[in-house]
Amino acid sequence: MTRVLHADPHDTGTVDTAPNRADEGYDTVFSYRELARLDEALTMSSRETGLRFTLYIGDLGKQTRLRAEELHARGGDPANSVLLAVSPGQRVVEVVTGPSAARRLPDRACALAVLSMTNSFAAGDLVGGVVNGLRQLSDQAGHPRLARDHH
Amino acid sequence: MTVVETLLVFLVAPLSVYLLLWALTYLPGGRKRQGVQYKPGQSWDHEPVWYEPQPQGAPTHAAGEGDTQAVGSSLYGEPAALGSGDGVGPAHGGHGATALSAGAPTPATVGPLGGARGTW
Repeated sequence: MTRVLHADPHDTGTVDTAPNRADEGYDTVFSYRELARLDEALTMSSRETGLRFTLYIGDLGKQTRLRAEELHARGGDPANSVLLAVSPGQRVVEVVTGPSAARRLPDRACALAVLSMTNSFAAGDLVGGVVNGLRQLSDQAGHPRLARDHH
Repeated sequence: MTVVETLLVFLVAPLSVYLLLWALTYLPGGRKRQGVQYKPGQSWDHEPVWYEPQPQGAPTHAAGEGDTQAVGSSLYGEPAALGSGDGVGPAHGGHGATALSAGAPTPATVGPLGGARGTW
């Protein structure tokens, strides 16, 4: 019988062989299919609207709004970005829009999207809620060129 | 038709069909669901993740040289040596779309923020 030897890893990795993200443990919060749905929703809504939609899932602390705004400011291009911050443990979802994003996404539209998201979340469907919320937000924001012609 | 044949045709054959379908449906290994099944009210003790959209110029085909096709990563190849596209830093423990690391806060006021809040 052969035995598995626990060899120490040698630090001889090159750029190509160094440990990368694929080697780290895969956190199974979402399945591959759900990750693909999230990825597509974020990417396509960002491309269609020209805004930058990002999604944060995790704890938001005691003051959820402040924490979400802090995160929003930390991401790239805060003026044009829209942050969806979901804290499933606290049952809170925050949508933060930057100043120029807020011109195309009024608070009422965000509230409507939040309403549909919380409906899905209450049913236990995190990914579906996020995807639908992103769809609503990007529909409301519209295409940048159309928005420019309109005004 | 003998009694044995009758039993075989009318009893054993239908039963075997039922058993086959039951086994395909309920025996383990058939359909395994990955990920957590979130139920409202349960605690959430996973690492916070921050997904961001793919950068505009990302290759949409199979990753070429310098790209990694990380398991659980996005459908698009990502530059291996770079972190996230906007220079926020190298992504740690990322999966799905690029996950940003939550480092020191650098709040920069850009003006009045909008948005909405909801609970469930």
